[in-house]
Amino acid sequence: MTTTTRQIRLSSDRSARRFEDIREMLPDVDNPSPMVRLNHVTGARELDLYLKLEWMNPFGSIKDRTAFYLIEGLRRRGELEERELVEASSGNTAIALAALASLAGTRLTTTIPDGVPEEKKVILRMLGAEVWETPDDLCPVDNPKDGAIALARSLAASEGGSRYTATRQYESEDNIAAHYETTGPEIWQQTLGRVKWFVAALGTTGTVVGAGRYLKERDPTIRVVAVEPEPGHRLPGMKSFGEASVPGIFDRQVVDHTVVVGDDAAYAATTEIWRRESLMVGPSTGAVVAAIEQVPTDPGDLVVAISADSGVKYTSYFEDILGEEGKPQI
Amino acid sequence: MSTEETIATEIEVYDLDCAGLLCPLPVYKAALALAKLEPGDRLRLITTDLGALEDIPAMTRQRGDTLVSVDREVDRQTFLIQKGTQP
Repeated sequence: MTTTTRQIRLSSDRSARRFEDIREMLPDVDNPSPMVRLNHVTGARELDLYLKLEWMNPFGSIKDRTAFYLIEGLRRRGELEERELVEASSGNTAIALAALASLAGTRLTTTIPDGVPEEKKVILRMLGAEVWETPDDLCPVDNPKDGAIALARSLAASEGGSRYTATRQYESEDNIAAHYETTGPEIWQQTLGRVKWFVAALGTTGTVVGAGRYLKERDPTIRVVAVEPEPGHRLPGMKSFGEASVPGIFDRQVVDHTVVVGDDAAYAATTEIWRRESLMVGPSTGAVVAAIEQVPTDPGDLVVAISADSGVKYTSYFEDILGEEGKPQI
Repeated sequence: MSTEETIATEIEVYDLDCAGLLCPLPVYKAALALAKLEPGDRLRLITTDLGALEDIPAMTRQRGDTLVSVDREVDRQTFLIQKGTQP
């Protein structure tokens, strides 16, 4: 496992903290993303259910960790210099990569599924990224549901491979390391080792595998739950392996339970979390919380679920489910 | 001017050089280019990736365009595509 050195902060006293560079705000065991208990949506299950709010990270999602480790890995191996970055992303990794690429003196080109909300595409362009909207069925002959990944690979390999460096979040061990070295240890520390269940959505699988592996090494009785959407879903960032390729970094041995969640349950839970917990989470958080209903927990178990991003990047999706709700009826 | 000559002058032919690009990049760029053309306009597309020999005909069928001709040379292929009615 690789080790990445981070800058030392000026002070560990939270009241005296200030940052000289936004990268110092990235989360790690000394600066963990917050965990907040859900006190209303769990009903009678009597769980200690905490959401780890990754949208409090500086670029707005859990992918801040991944992007930092991907770029650091490239820099360490001498693969970063004088090249632009290219990555297939449903938005969050690309947003963090675009921000970090600028700070590293380069630029990101991202291939992004064309169903991703416009909000994310605009954010990426504001950050200076070049955004290639890509239909999932781009390859008419060889047609896995991964057009954006195929296009990113062809961009990286074309023109003799001289222009772009692929960050390869679906294949890079740096993605796993990000969560093994930060997300997992943070959860262990924030729960004082009491965590019994770790629940996260499947996408690149980096979070599930990296954090799950760390937690199981600390306590083999911890159960890891992977949440998968149904085929044809509308849950950005998540992957149904019934229709998409399984990432090369996925280690099935880490996962104890896989729970499949439909869009309706995910969006219903998302709405409930907004309204009963006042947490403005994204749809994948709703999917993760809905999945916990299907997990055989015992009363009092401490459950940590990942809230990968906030809902502010999905307002156009929420507009669809709200319809006329919340408007005056005359 | 004969009718044939009139038709010939109304068909615009645009060139897109995708030599050196690997699939599905030529498909992506060709689709973008075709979206900007008027129905009946033609796109002359040059590729070097052999995958294009399958992908480009499939793309034209999928989009409702017409593959007018394919010229294969040793190191490249030239496709002439006539745009159909869809955007």
